[in-house]
Amino acid sequence: MTITAVDTGKPRSGTEQRPRRTMGDTARAYLLNAPAMIVIGLLVAYPIGYSFWLSLHRYNLKLPALERFVWFQNYLSLIGDPAFLSSLRVTVAFVVVVLGLTVILGTALALVLNETFLGRGVLRSLVLLPWAMPGVVNGLMWRTIFDAKTGALNGLLLQLGLIDSYQAWLTSPTGAFLITAFAQVWNTLPFTVIILLAGLSTIPSEQYDAAKVDRAGVVQRFTQVTLPWLLHPLLIVLILETMNAFRAFDTIYVLTGGGPGDATNVIAVLNVRTVLTYTDFGLGSAYSWVITIVTLVISIGYISTLYQRGRIEV
Amino acid sequence: MTKKVVLHVLAIGFALYLVVPFYWIVNLSFMHEVDAASVPPHFLPDNPTPANYLGFVNPSTDQALVGSNAVGDTPYALLNSLVVAFSTAVVNLVLGTFAAYSFSRIQFRGSQLLLIVYLLTRMVPGIAIIIPFYLVMRTLDLLDTYGALILSYTTFALPITIWILKDYFRTVPRELEDAARVDRCGWFRMMWTVFLPISAPGLVAAAIFSFMTAWNEFMFALFMTSSISSQTIPVIAANFATDLNTQVTLMAAAGVLAVVPPLVLVLICQRLIVQGMAAGSVKG
Repeated sequence: MTITAVDTGKPRSGTEQRPRRTMGDTARAYLLNAPAMIVIGLLVAYPIGYSFWLSLHRYNLKLPALERFVWFQNYLSLIGDPAFLSSLRVTVAFVVVVLGLTVILGTALALVLNETFLGRGVLRSLVLLPWAMPGVVNGLMWRTIFDAKTGALNGLLLQLGLIDSYQAWLTSPTGAFLITAFAQVWNTLPFTVIILLAGLSTIPSEQYDAAKVDRAGVVQRFTQVTLPWLLHPLLIVLILETMNAFRAFDTIYVLTGGGPGDATNVIAVLNVRTVLTYTDFGLGSAYSWVITIVTLVISIGYISTLYQRGRIEV
Repeated sequence: MTKKVVLHVLAIGFALYLVVPFYWIVNLSFMHEVDAASVPPHFLPDNPTPANYLGFVNPSTDQALVGSNAVGDTPYALLNSLVVAFSTAVVNLVLGTFAAYSFSRIQFRGSQLLLIVYLLTRMVPGIAIIIPFYLVMRTLDLLDTYGALILSYTTFALPITIWILKDYFRTVPRELEDAARVDRCGWFRMMWTVFLPISAPGLVAAAIFSFMTAWNEFMFALFMTSSISSQTIPVIAANFATDLNTQVTLMAAAGVLAVVPPLVLVLICQRLIVQGMAAGSVKG
């Protein structure tokens, strides 16, 4: 038996008293949307088109004389560009690790918060703490913790006798990569927990009672009752966190700056360096377009999954 | 019984996971630089001092040098962030209310498509529009002003604002508007005196969401600003971090200051946020 969350969805107010659809209504609706559409059109749609146009040019702000139309040359150069390929690998690995950790930790924390225990209210407030922290501050916070000489982690582990000598966590490529992923997860976890918690709160308690009558164990109750209800919120989490992880920048920029070497040089960091340091707007735009297309393809995949499950309501 | 034990162990574990990292920078922010650099580290400040915080108002000579005057800039950056984030929230509410009202009350051709398009714009990574955005702002002569930042953040927050508001507006009973119409209220008056006051929780949730988006944003701020007349707190905080000779204690204090305004906001309104965000996301 599959249980869909939409069954309990509130009926759309006004479904019964749906007014006739007239031309006047449509005109009025678009009039109301006009300000938002103008802002979004001017500041998102136009820049996207323009950035595609730029990506077909050789355009370096420092070398204006060399500007010219080069068709897809910037894109072709990406195929053999080691910086781009390595950053693509790092980005994909980063997204996978961050998503995995976020889903596991987020689900566990949401399940804990869904139970009743002393101090639940306190824990619920604490969950919001990482959310209130700007990514830049998150980055500098973890830097002080993982610092090789003065960091809290080395001190703590040494005092507990778990390590013999101070470790330089951020200078090993693998260490730096895992630490940036860990820091990113800490920062974005609250959002995941809030969404999952809201999903959990929609599960009718009768279903758990029924499962108990059937003598279902904890694991069975989770897989048979909880998980089907959580699938929809989990998909939402996957959409939002994939976007977030693909564009991760703030924390990494401050924590490692893309290093050591290019171990944490995700595509957003590479892109910003190409644009800000080398002022190569043409190549930078080509990078941006690749990120845009990848994220759009992934989000369209997610959204069509939602649609097929018949659970999207707009 | 075992379930109880596991639950409490997990709860304590998560609480530590959430709090300890932040505690560490609060701890650092009340230390003297010498103590912060000591081995082994102090998990409590031996001689707690407010010197780092006082330094932001009146930096000593060695403090002033850190992070290319990041210390002296911090109070101004906080002010800039407040102005930008607050304005973003207001602009978003105005634009979002009009659009969201149409989705919650009018059946119109293309409404579904329009909502999806709004959502899709949110899926475009900021980095993809930053170069043209920069060039547009340069043409409009808005670089290094609040205007450029407020416009950027409005485009980020507007789609989500519309989604949060439309869901909330749908819960407002239609009868209220009908009653106002019988009283021959105009639409604007009806909105102002009846509809919006009832929708206050949704409006607050959306406003906080926009505020936080603007307060936390770093990449656009890095591109669009070049002086303290518009640099926001993430930019200045990053200056602390990228200076090789930075003072850890000052950096920590700046970090704590950057967290306080959003944290206070979130804690005061946590119930509203959870309700407001949950309404939209869980229904899809």
